[in-house]
Amino acid sequence: MNDINCNDALMAKMVEIDNEETEFSSAQINFHLANCENCRRELEQMQVADNLLKRQVRLEQTANLWSGIEPRIEAETAPQISWKPFVFIGSFLVAYKLLEMLPDEDFGLAFKLVPLVFIVAVFVFLKENPFKINTELILER
Amino acid sequence: MDDRTAIEICLKGENEAFRHLVESYQKQAVAYALAILGNREDALDAVQEAFVDAFRSLRKFDLTRRFYPWFYVLLRNRCFKMTAKKREIENIEETEILAPQASLSGEERFALERALLALSKEDREIITLKYLDGLSYQELAEQLEIPRGTVMSRLFYARKQLQAKLTGTFH
Repeated sequence: MNDINCNDALMAKMVEIDNEETEFSSAQINFHLANCENCRRELEQMQVADNLLKRQVRLEQTANLWSGIEPRIEAETAPQISWKPFVFIGSFLVAYKLLEMLPDEDFGLAFKLVPLVFIVAVFVFLKENPFKINTELILER
Repeated sequence: MDDRTAIEICLKGENEAFRHLVESYQKQAVAYALAILGNREDALDAVQEAFVDAFRSLRKFDLTRRFYPWFYVLLRNRCFKMTAKKREIENIEETEILAPQASLSGEERFALERALLALSKEDREIITLKYLDGLSYQELAEQLEIPRGTVMSRLFYARKQLQAKLTGTFH
């Protein structure tokens, strides 16, 4: 009978113990083990660890992760603000500034208020409340 | 609701359906992550991040497959990324992976868990999946995305490593 090497014999024996198929026959494995004291000793030690582990079960875990995950996935699906309006606003303000720089031209007070109107429009668009103005009516006793 | 229905609803924009998946698999996922990372806080972080990864990639999910094995790959990547940042598992003070057993004293269980945590993450992963989750070689091959022959050799060398760590404790 062809003998197999120590590693193959031990590995195949452990596979056999796990009730799985191995490429070596039981006769080949047992032949090697019968003739190799080192392997027998090592197998014995491996079986101690194997038997010990077979009796173990995972400690059941508790977890409630939804509260942490929900806001993350909500943020993932929230509509994204497009960059296009900002390009438009930027271009408009540059054009405005250029017009303002024209010498000997006075476009009046309404023209001077344009940047302010724009800033307000931007904050409304972003749904921001930078000055923390309380817009909710609170009825106090 | 089954997983497939939950995913389909989720893909239609109802994020709440994702809750079904989180609640079905979070305990299993935390137990796995804990065995890899060695502490509960990191395990919870890794699982949370993996669920967010899964949500982001949900459109790529093949509905004919089972959810958990697909999610497992994402979780595994998260855990391995986290272990790469950490140098080593700090000294443990109590067992968090193994459940108490009548046949084993608290001290022995603690020693066994310490030996498990002293293994490399790959060895610890294959040992815990084999023994604590009871996976067959075929299931290990599918879950770890490696050939069955590699399962045999990796398991064998992981056992040898564990046996070396346990020498003197249980012999």
